[in-house]
Amino acid sequence: MSEILIEAVHLKKFFPTSRGTLHAVDDVSFSIEKGKTMGVVGESGCGKSTLGRTLLQLYEPTEGEILFRGKQVNHLSRGELKQVRPKMQMIFQDPYSSLNGRMTVQQLIAEPLLVNKVCKSKKEIQERVEHIMDTVGLAKRLAMAYPHELDGGRRQRIGVARALILRPEFVVCDEPVSALDVSIQAQILNLLMDLQDKMGLTYLFITHDLSVVKHISDEIMVMYLGKCVERAPSEEIFEHPVHPYTKALLAAIPIPSIESLHKKRHLLQGEVTSPVDPKPGCRFSGRCPYATDLCRQGEIPLREVSPGHFAACCRIEETDR
Amino acid sequence: MSKSRKHAQLAEFWRRFRKNKTAVLGLVILIIILSMALFADLIVPYSKCIDQVGADRLQGSSMAHFFGTDELGRDLFARVVHGSRYSLLIGLATSLMALVIGAVLGASAGYFGGWVDNVISRIVDVFMCVPPILLSLAVVAALGTNLRNLIIAITVSCVPGNVRLIRSVVLTAAEQDYVEAAKSYGASNARIIFRYVLPNAMGPIIVNTTMSISDMMLSAAGLSFIGMGIQPPSPEWGALLSNAQIYLFSAPHMLLFPGLCILFSSLAFNLVGDGLTDALDPKLKD
Amino acid sequence: MEEYTNQVQIGEKLLEIKDLSIVYKTDLETVRAVNGISFSLREGETLGLVGETGAGKTTTALGIMKLLPERTARITSGQILFEDRDICGLDNHEMQQIRGQKISMIFQDPMTALNPVLTVGEQIGEALYLHHQKELSPKEIEQKVEETLELVGIPKERKNEYPYQFSGGMRQRVVIAIALVCNPRLLIADEPTTALDVTIQAQILSMICDLQRKYGTSVIMITHDLGVVAETCDQVAIMYAGEIVEYGTLADIFTGEEHHPYTTGLFGSIPSLTENSARLHPIEGLMPDPTDLPKGCSFSPRCGKCMEICRQQKPDVYEKEGHQIRCHLFGEGKVKE
Repeated sequence: MSEILIEAVHLKKFFPTSRGTLHAVDDVSFSIEKGKTMGVVGESGCGKSTLGRTLLQLYEPTEGEILFRGKQVNHLSRGELKQVRPKMQMIFQDPYSSLNGRMTVQQLIAEPLLVNKVCKSKKEIQERVEHIMDTVGLAKRLAMAYPHELDGGRRQRIGVARALILRPEFVVCDEPVSALDVSIQAQILNLLMDLQDKMGLTYLFITHDLSVVKHISDEIMVMYLGKCVERAPSEEIFEHPVHPYTKALLAAIPIPSIESLHKKRHLLQGEVTSPVDPKPGCRFSGRCPYATDLCRQGEIPLREVSPGHFAACCRIEETDR
Repeated sequence: MSKSRKHAQLAEFWRRFRKNKTAVLGLVILIIILSMALFADLIVPYSKCIDQVGADRLQGSSMAHFFGTDELGRDLFARVVHGSRYSLLIGLATSLMALVIGAVLGASAGYFGGWVDNVISRIVDVFMCVPPILLSLAVVAALGTNLRNLIIAITVSCVPGNVRLIRSVVLTAAEQDYVEAAKSYGASNARIIFRYVLPNAMGPIIVNTTMSISDMMLSAAGLSFIGMGIQPPSPEWGALLSNAQIYLFSAPHMLLFPGLCILFSSLAFNLVGDGLTDALDPKLKD
Repeated sequence: MEEYTNQVQIGEKLLEIKDLSIVYKTDLETVRAVNGISFSLREGETLGLVGETGAGKTTTALGIMKLLPERTARITSGQILFEDRDICGLDNHEMQQIRGQKISMIFQDPMTALNPVLTVGEQIGEALYLHHQKELSPKEIEQKVEETLELVGIPKERKNEYPYQFSGGMRQRVVIAIALVCNPRLLIADEPTTALDVTIQAQILSMICDLQRKYGTSVIMITHDLGVVAETCDQVAIMYAGEIVEYGTLADIFTGEEHHPYTTGLFGSIPSLTENSARLHPIEGLMPDPTDLPKGCSFSPRCGKCMEICRQQKPDVYEKEGHQIRCHLFGEGKVKE
């Protein structure tokens, strides 16, 4: 087994709101091995973006620990944080709002170098910017362009270049392709996978698109209202999902082929409830067709259904197959 | 950033500014008015402002007195030319000071939020409750009447509005994803405010500042009117204007010329401000 | 082929578009958004308009609704025949009679498509009031509003609530209720589920299909998602740079032998859920600039099978049993292997 790069232990992030406490991430634990990709799937409001931002110290976790290379990185001092930050970077969803429109491509990509005072000379900055632009497939002539002059795909490449110029080890990709057209989406996905091979990157890949996550991930975590409901290797979760929510999610994707039309689909009823002061018990019980009183009583822990495959459901034995 | 590139950016900025014809017109008017203030002594000696010629009272325009004379027989042209020094100084100094103070307070309130925002906003609220002219009066009364105190007084009355405006534009600008991106690669708060937030909030701020220049000149006039501003016999446009209202029907030229000066200078500032906003925004390129 | 359709009674021709071209003209540039498209739609049928951003899908829809921005947009050629009448020739007043009553539209973003200061009941009743205030009493309008709400799966007690009290999926149901309250003959759905989560998307899509089956409404489904197309459409038109590059039945597009290279590229770009592949096969390059389209085939700069003739000459439509492809690879051009 190879080295574990990043690990979350009983991580919680709550936000106080006027209506109560919002449980954005509620007791999530996982670890990612070096060079692997963990996919995080879930619907809007399930806490997947908060999870990514908490890992990167953009939010202070309410409880729990984050370990990077075995060393705890939450509750660090400013100086220590400065050491860790460059190792963990983020690619944002919206290539339109995540770039400062008043800076040129060159300035945008060089900014992390300047902020962290990595380079000694202007020439070195120039070289590194040119090198990374080349790596992500941005033509040199675009260096002086402003982001609004470029299309979504190229802008997202700037976002990738900016995240990678500090030579990070761990990158959180927060829906990096959902704002792009399908043909461009495929270009960026290929790029991310090539870069992973080349630079040995470790990804946390957040998305709501199951087909994308299947394509890119080694392991997948399904989240529902702040909880991890199922976690398993990529193949396993698609071939043999056990949690009723995962099953419903898989059934809901429209499949681009007409053979699938013969399948009768089981539509999930109802909508995601509020993550503010959730009731005890399984968060999914309100929509779950198999829910019993047992599900609504206490916390349902994750348990290992087969090697490496975890699910948080107390009725797996009855509902499976 | 190398020297040549700075130069290229400046040239680019000038090229785009030049494209806006009305902004160029504003710039031309502004240059005329500014040079009037700078070279006032060369155009007409200061002594002409205060020389009272009893025989020439309330005369209309003539070759001897281009803009006519006032109720004491002083040459109005000289008074307008020299008055530009006071008026422009007051207008520019107060607006810039109010801008700087407003930017620091407003940006801190909008960007940091929480208790910083609460403290700043509540203080601003208190100041907003007092009519600006009263605020200025109180300051002048406390500090005494001279040019410096007048500028401070008007600045104080203008700051609360600025803080509010800048706070609200900063609030929206700070919500953008690129601010979060900057945090994720470790940029400091100061860098984020000055490099990410303020430049993207600049449009409304510039417009507000240039608009306020003429307001400030008029506030100064108001204070002069009640004897708390520039002390006679020093000429100042606002003072000339308030002086003229008694003779509104008998000698309208007394109102006309200082009025036109205020009108054209505020127009020029506004046009240049609009042009600046557009030329500085890369999205409006070409 | 019949087995794939939605089991709706397909009736007479309702809408026909012939050689439609739309440009946006400003002082600086001319954007050629739609370039000579033709298609037809029968009663009860669903047509999928598929394409990426800038393909001209929404412009086509707005053209049919006659909602194009008046100052810049021009219909430069073609006809839009709705119930055998050319919509292009109608004045605003006549069009208002059709809009909302016979043709209605569902917009992409349910968060902005509703007026926040009116209750949902008032907003649903608005179209009825505008078109039927003579025939229907306020009470009947009220009743119809309640019926429509139940139809889209919202309890009628909620009619006095405001949009902010509804979630995204529920708001889209309200938007659909507004579109359906007058029993339109044609419904244009512009990316109706793009802003929604998958489980909610599935609910909304199946609801649209059910309602269509019930009332025999024709639907134009605008989407970029081929999965949505497979589930809802009978006919499919693939659009690229303002042209329909491929047009046929669902079976033609998904299982047909011959395809436009762009269609092949689109399918290659989607990561598959059923198969494992190491790499995707995206279409290289970018959509052409609509102010400066290439001389020959618009797709030629990105096409892997581009030939000399593609750069010189616009391809004609090749047709085989109703399946149309606009490409030099087929028909006459095929001689040049």
